[in-house]
Formats: sequence, structure tokens, C-alpha cells
Amino acid sequence: MTIDHETLTAFAKTYGLIYMMIVFFGAVVYALWPSNQSKFDRAANSILEQDED
Amino acid sequence: MISQLTKTERETALFLTALLTLSGLTLGLLGRNDLLGYHGALLAVAGMSLTFLLIKDYYKPEPDPDNRAKYYDDPIKVGLVLALVWAVIGMIVGDWVAWLLVFPEATFDAGWASFGRLRPVHTSGVIFGFGGNALIATSFHVMQRTSRARLADNISPWVVVVGFNLFCLMAATGYLMGITASKEYAEPEWYADIFLTIIWVVYLVLYLRTLARREEPHIYVANWYYLSFVIVVAMLHILNNLAIPISLGHAKSYSLFSGVQDAMIQWWYGHNAVAFFLTTGFLGMMYYYLPKRAGRPIFSYRLSIISFWGIVFLYMWAGSHHLHYTALPHWVQTLGMTFSIMLLVPSWASAGNALLTLNGAWGKVRDDATLRFMMVAAVFYGLSTFEGSFMAIRPVNSLSHYTDWTVGHVHSGALGWVAMITFGSIYTLTPWIWRKERMYSNKLIELHFWLALVGTMIYVFAMWNSGIIQGLMWRAYNTDGTLAYSFIDSVAAMKPYYVARAIGGLMFLAGAIVCAYNVWKTAKLPTVTEYTPDKPPLPARGRPSAAAQAAE
Amino acid sequence: MLGKHAKLERTAIGFAIGIIIVASIGGLIEIAPLFTIDETVEEDPDMRVYTPLELAGRNIYIREGCYACHSQMIRTLQDEVERYGPYSLAVESQYDHPMLWGSKRTGPDLARLGGKYSDQWHVAHLLDPRSLVPQSVMPAYRWLARNDLDVSDMPLHLSAQKKVGVPYTDDMIANADEDAFGQANPDSEAADGFFERYGFEANARYFDGDRRKLTEMDALVAYLQSIGTLSEAASKNNEITKTIPDEGGAE
Ligand code: HEM
Ligand code: HEM
Repeated sequence: MTIDHETLTAFAKTYGLIYMMIVFFGAVVYALWPSNQSKFDRAANSILEQDED
Repeated sequence: MISQLTKTERETALFLTALLTLSGLTLGLLGRNDLLGYHGALLAVAGMSLTFLLIKDYYKPEPDPDNRAKYYDDPIKVGLVLALVWAVIGMIVGDWVAWLLVFPEATFDAGWASFGRLRPVHTSGVIFGFGGNALIATSFHVMQRTSRARLADNISPWVVVVGFNLFCLMAATGYLMGITASKEYAEPEWYADIFLTIIWVVYLVLYLRTLARREEPHIYVANWYYLSFVIVVAMLHILNNLAIPISLGHAKSYSLFSGVQDAMIQWWYGHNAVAFFLTTGFLGMMYYYLPKRAGRPIFSYRLSIISFWGIVFLYMWAGSHHLHYTALPHWVQTLGMTFSIMLLVPSWASAGNALLTLNGAWGKVRDDATLRFMMVAAVFYGLSTFEGSFMAIRPVNSLSHYTDWTVGHVHSGALGWVAMITFGSIYTLTPWIWRKERMYSNKLIELHFWLALVGTMIYVFAMWNSGIIQGLMWRAYNTDGTLAYSFIDSVAAMKPYYVARAIGGLMFLAGAIVCAYNVWKTAKLPTVTEYTPDKPPLPARGRPSAAAQAAE
Repeated sequence: MLGKHAKLERTAIGFAIGIIIVASIGGLIEIAPLFTIDETVEEDPDMRVYTPLELAGRNIYIREGCYACHSQMIRTLQDEVERYGPYSLAVESQYDHPMLWGSKRTGPDLARLGGKYSDQWHVAHLLDPRSLVPQSVMPAYRWLARNDLDVSDMPLHLSAQKKVGVPYTDDMIANADEDAFGQANPDSEAADGFFERYGFEANARYFDGDRRKLTEMDALVAYLQSIGTLSEAASKNNEITKTIPDEGGAE
């Protein structure tokens, strides 16, 4: 099979899109996962704990 | 600076400067019959000067080993100063080319002083010189503080700072001599591109090694933004600059790509350079210095993560909005438009996140010009991304493309967002790393703020006006169906706006000079005595620091 | 999945490599079609290449940054076609390494410039733009007439162009310096070789009007006169379709 422009384009427009959606969805789930909340709170506050030097 | 290096480090440094000298000499020799020779000489001279500096201080006593328990801030200081130097140079040239459009005879019959050669000196000077140095310096600060770890070694930060500035110098001097690859924002030629690639790999490795030393498992979100800047810029840079030099002894090369393919790759680069150089890097800055200055955690940490991934993915697709109605296939244009509009969501998520962080601290914003710089930056970030998404719509772009509207959009992003967030961060950072109680003068910060804000407004409004007038004049018809204006009519109509823009730019430039002066004076204030960091950086995990040094 | 993510985060290297892999897979899938996009370009078997002199002129155009103010890409919009001429086709820039489509029109588009003005007009305009167009903001380029054109490297230029895909013959490469000279000196012996290799249609003239020396002005004017003339595809296309694919790019 030769990989021509048509094939690549079709692939990008379908599987490429699905792939990106899945990864993005994964990131959103990670960000919203309830048990991660405390970790994020800690991170958000961590930079304020140190007095700058 | 050199007294902070151990004996072995001084040797390593000497080896590197010798290598630089040698590569400079080789390049100079190969290119002795071409402009390339000058850049060989530039590198050789830089290498020799650095070697000289090192030898001069070679026998100075070694630093106190306890110093290694502290953060390493010398490269940050140098990076910040260089950022300000480039800001002033880049903006002087910017304002000069702005005046050139009013007084076109001011080229003095010298090639190097003509608009076409000076314009890239401006764009590279401000984007890479000012923006790049600011990003590198602040990233060194953020990576150390958020990891509570010292920079992974003492040599590579210098390689990054010095190497990157040599690249900027080759870029700017090259344009003046007529060395350019003509790709917007990627004008330097092949040898400078290779040089930058090496520097960039050192930067990435340094960043990762420093993060690897951290104690806290979670990596603070600002680092994600900075890292995406480092990584994606490397990919963009390598792909877009693929070219074949006419010989190893010539500066000139020909792009591997041509025509429509070259255009698409160029604007895939161009747009993502906006995304990952002018946006994510500076968002990293914002996500650290804004909460620090406001003394409040970021409004929503979750939103900052989602916004990160949204930006990373959506920008990839958006580049083709630079090529609407061109010979590019239709579907690519539509794709670019659609994703540019979707891009507004994560962009506003970040802008909103910043502003909501300030909600409840408005009193501080009112009193503190530094924090106000950051607030205004967030507002302009929101504005210019909204404008960008709007301009990506094909019919809107049919009007705005090729006109000053684009220039207005660029500078609403560049002055309002990039420069303002940088100035805010510089004012926050300067007293910290120079160990002063505060900036030399708060009045001067206040002055700078108003110069910058008013200058930006004048610039952007002038360009909106001129751009839209231009666009409308080009497409205006008489009742008999003929075009109403000749091209030169539209050029003549621009004159008042070009004057206004140059004046606004002058104010902005004046502000930058005030900033440089203020930082200079701050560095000379008495140092806060008996400085002890409240929380010193943690020693590298799992290994005693002495062994860690030996390993490096 | 989440536990893994936390562990991944613990090692910065793992995290960064994760970002690289995840984002670049997406990126690569998306840009892969760009590397084959040239397959979609219309064909024009009659298209000619730039002559060595024109190529040298093109490099001066690049060196001086003309592209910062002039586009070479007429969009598929009614007013543009009426103002400048047939809209640009992808095939027309297939030998342009790099392309010079531009992104700003401080001055007008140049995609159909070739043959529009006389050589004398161009020379006068480049020496003093305001003598012809009083309100112009273009810089004067007087040094071009003073600088001798260095053609000794032209074979190197052509052979690099060939490496990136422009169909220059070995004969053209070997004689590139002679041909550059010949094109600007039609009465010289070198001109015969030039005609032989590039055909009689290719313009050979004393571009800058000065018979004594070969200057950068010769080269730049030769290039300007060649813009849009390498291929006739666009004008033919315009005759056939007569209409502009409104709202559409070249499909
Ligand atoms: C003193 C302030 C400044 C002035 C007076 C100024 C002026 C100018 C002028 C006259 C141009 C050429 C526009 C044209 O070709 O019509 C330009 C282009 C540009 N400037 Fe600035 N500038 C300033 C600051 C900045 C800063 C701080 C940045 C970035 C951080 C920046 C980024 C750019 C870019 C990216 C372009 C190219 C725009 C395009 O190609 O569409 N400028 N500037
Ligand atoms: C959602 C975000 C954004 C979108 C969708 C967007 C979209 C656009 C569009 C449609 C153009 C005009 C292209 C043309 O007609 O030639 C443009 C140009 C430009 N934008 Fe943005 N923009 C965004 C944010 C920004 C930001 C934050 C900056 C920061 C400085 C920026 C810098 C630029 C530059 C430098 C150009 C000029 C490129 C050139 O022609 O040389 N953009 N952008």
C-alpha cells in the first residue's frame, strides 16, 4: 500500500481527532478526579509557603 | 561569578570555551570568502573572551561548599539583565522602523539601515532577545523554587544563557549584513539553527534533571507550561528550518520545502511559535509570579491543568488560519478556522483563572503597580486571544489579512500580554534574587505602568483603525463596478496612524528604559544582611550533595 | 490510570517524555499530510525554472527583506483579482524554496509583477521610489546599482536547488555563472549558451541599462520581471473558470 496524501489526510481527520479527544478527555478526568483535589490544593499552596529569599 | 565554580567546574568551563573558540575558528575559516566568516569570527571572539575571563579568575579560591546548599541565582541575574538590554535594543529598533514608515528617506543610503533588514532585528530582538531571556531566567527561578532543589549543575545554566544570547547576536547582526532565510520568526541561517538546537537540548536536559531532584511528587503546574515551551519549540525549530546550505563555507541555504508545503510548514511553525513561545512560556510565568505576588493560591488549579492540555492540543491545528483564501486546500483552511475558534475556551480559562485569583485582592491591585502589570497582562491575554479567534474566521480574515489589523493584534498580544507579564515578573523577582528589601523606586514602577498602558492603547487603537481602513479601501467599489481606490491611496491614508503608532511605541520604549534603570539601581541597593533562606533547598534526593557534585 | 499518572509525575523525565510522546503523536498525525501536500498541487509540464540571474535576484529580494512589505499571493477574492490579476495557484510556487507569499501588504502584491512595467521603470523606482510614486513609503535601494553582482557561486546555488527538487540539468549547473552574465549581456558570447539552455523566451536584456557592468540591480530587476511568468497555469485557469471559487481556496 502506498501512503498517499488522501490516506494520510483521512487518517488525520478521523483517528487523529479521536486520539486527541481521548487524550484530552483523559487529562480532564485526571484534573477533575475527586481524590486528586487534596494534592492540587497542596500544590497550589506550596509556592506560597516559602518566603522568597 | 567564576568564583562560584569549583576547580573541576572551571576546567569544564575552560574546555567548553575552547570548544566554542575552535568552532568559531573553523566556521570562520570555512566561510572566509563569505559573510559566514564574520559569524565564525564572532563566535571565536566570544569564546576567547570567555576563556580569558576564566583564566583570569582561575586561581581564585574555591567557593564555600555550604554555598551548594543554596539556590543558584547568578545565571538568573545575568539572564534578567540581558532580557532588559534586548528589550531596549529591540524596542528602539521597533520604534525606528515605525518612524521609517513615516520618513522613508531615513535609510541614509545604507543597506543595513533599510526597513526590510531592520524589521527582523526588531522581531527577533523582542521575541527572542527580550522574551527568550526572560523565559529562560524566570524558568531557572521557578524550577528551583517549586522543586526546592538547586539547579542540577553549575555549568549548563551558563551554556544556556551565553549560548542563547550568542544565537540572538548572530540573528540580529546577520539580518543587518543580509543573512536571512526569510522565514518569519525563523530567519537565522542553518549554522545558527544548529547552534541553537544544541543549546536547547542542554536547556531541556537541565530542566529535567533539576525537576528530578525535587521532593514533592507533584510538579507545580507552571513547570508544565515552561516544559511545553522548551519541548515544542525544539520540534518546531528543527522541522521548519530543514534546509540545504549551498556549501559548508556559505551562510546561504535553501529550504527543503517549497511553495504550498513550505507555506504550510512555515505557518504551522509561526502559529505554534506564538503558542509555545509567546503563550505557554509566559503562562508559566503567570501561574507562578501572579499567585506569589498576590499572596493567594491560583483560583482553580484544576482549570490550569485542563487549560494546559486544551492549549497544547488545539494550537497544533490552528496554523492554517494564516493562509485563508490562498492556494492551500480548502479543508485545511476550514480546520484551522474551527480549531482557532475552539482555542478561545482554554485561553479564556487561563485568563479568567488569573483574574479570579485576584478577586478579593483588588485593594492590592490598586496599590501595587507590579501586580497591576500582571492583571493588565491577563486582560490583554483575554483580549488578544478573543481577537485572534475572531480574525481566524475566514470572512473576517479576508478583511484583516495583509493589513495593519494583524500588526495591531500582534502588539496587543506582544505589548499588552507578553511584555506586561514579563515586567510584572521582573519587578517581583528582582528584589528577591538580588536580596534586597524592595525595588529601588515604586514611583518609577508606577510611571512605567502608565507609560506602558497608554503606549499600548495608542499603538493598538492606531493599528485597528489603520488596518480596518486599509482593508475597506482595498475592497471598496464605485457604483460603476470599478475599484474605488488605488493602492497608493490606502498608503497615504495610513500616515496619521503610523505617526500615532510611533508615538505610542516611544512611550512604551520609555517605560522599558525606566524599568532597566530601576532594576539597575535596585541591584546597587544595600543587600539585606545576614541572609538565611527560610527553607533552604533540599539536598538532592538519596545522595549526599558532595557525591552529587562529583558526579556532575 | 490515576495511580500510574501520579507515579509518572514523580519522575520528571518520565513526565516529560510522556508529554513529548503524547503530544507529538497527535502533532505528527496532524502534520503528516503536510509532507505529502505537494501531491495535491496541479501540474504544469510547461513550467520553467528560474534562470541563474533571476535566482540571484530572488536572493537579493530575500536579503533586503522585500517580503516584509510585499506579498506574492493573490487570494481568491473578487477585489484582489481585479486589482492584481488571476489568483495564485499552488503550482506557481512549486520551485520557490522558500516560498515568499508574505503576510503583510505595506506595499502592493507582486505575484503578477512580471512584465507589468518596463525595466527602466523598475530601475528608476528602486533608485528613488518617490520620483515615480510621490506618496510611497518604500526605501530607496541605491546601493543595488553600485554593487557588482557576484556570480561565481551560482553553480553552488543551482546544485543546492537541485538537491531540494528543482529540475536544473547538470549543464545548467555547470554553466550557471556564465549564464547569469549572459542573460544581462545579450550581445556577449555567454548569451548564446544562455539561450541554448533556457530557450529564447527567457528574457535577456541589459536590465539596469548599464552595459558596462553586471550589478545587483540587473539581477533584482530580472527577478522582478520573472515573477508570475514561470507558469501560465493561473491565467489559463482564470480564462476557463472565469469565476472565483467564492469563499473557497483552490480545492
Ligand atoms: C516599543 C514598542 C514597539 C514598537 C514601536 C514596535 C513597532 C513595530 C513595527 C513598526 C513593526 C512592523 C510592522 C509592519 O511591518 O507594518 C513591528 C512588527 C512586529 N513586532 Fe513590534 N514594536 C514594539 C514592541 C514589540 C514587542 C514588545 C514585541 C514582542 C514581544 C513585538 C513583536 C512584533 C512582531 C511579532 C512583529 C511582526 C508582526 C507581523 O509580522 O505581523 N513588538 N513592530
Ligand atoms: C486564541 C488565540 C489566538 C488566535 C486564534 C490567533 C489568531 C491569529 C490570526 C487569525 C492571525 C492573523 C493571520 C493572518 O491573517 O496573517 C494572527 C496573527 C498573529 N498573532 Fe495571533 N492569535 C491568538 C493569540 C495570539 C497571542 C496571545 C499572541 C501573542 C503575542 C499572538 C501573536 C500573533 C502574531 C505574532 C501574529 C502575526 C503573524 C504574522 O503574520 O507575522 N496571537 N493570530
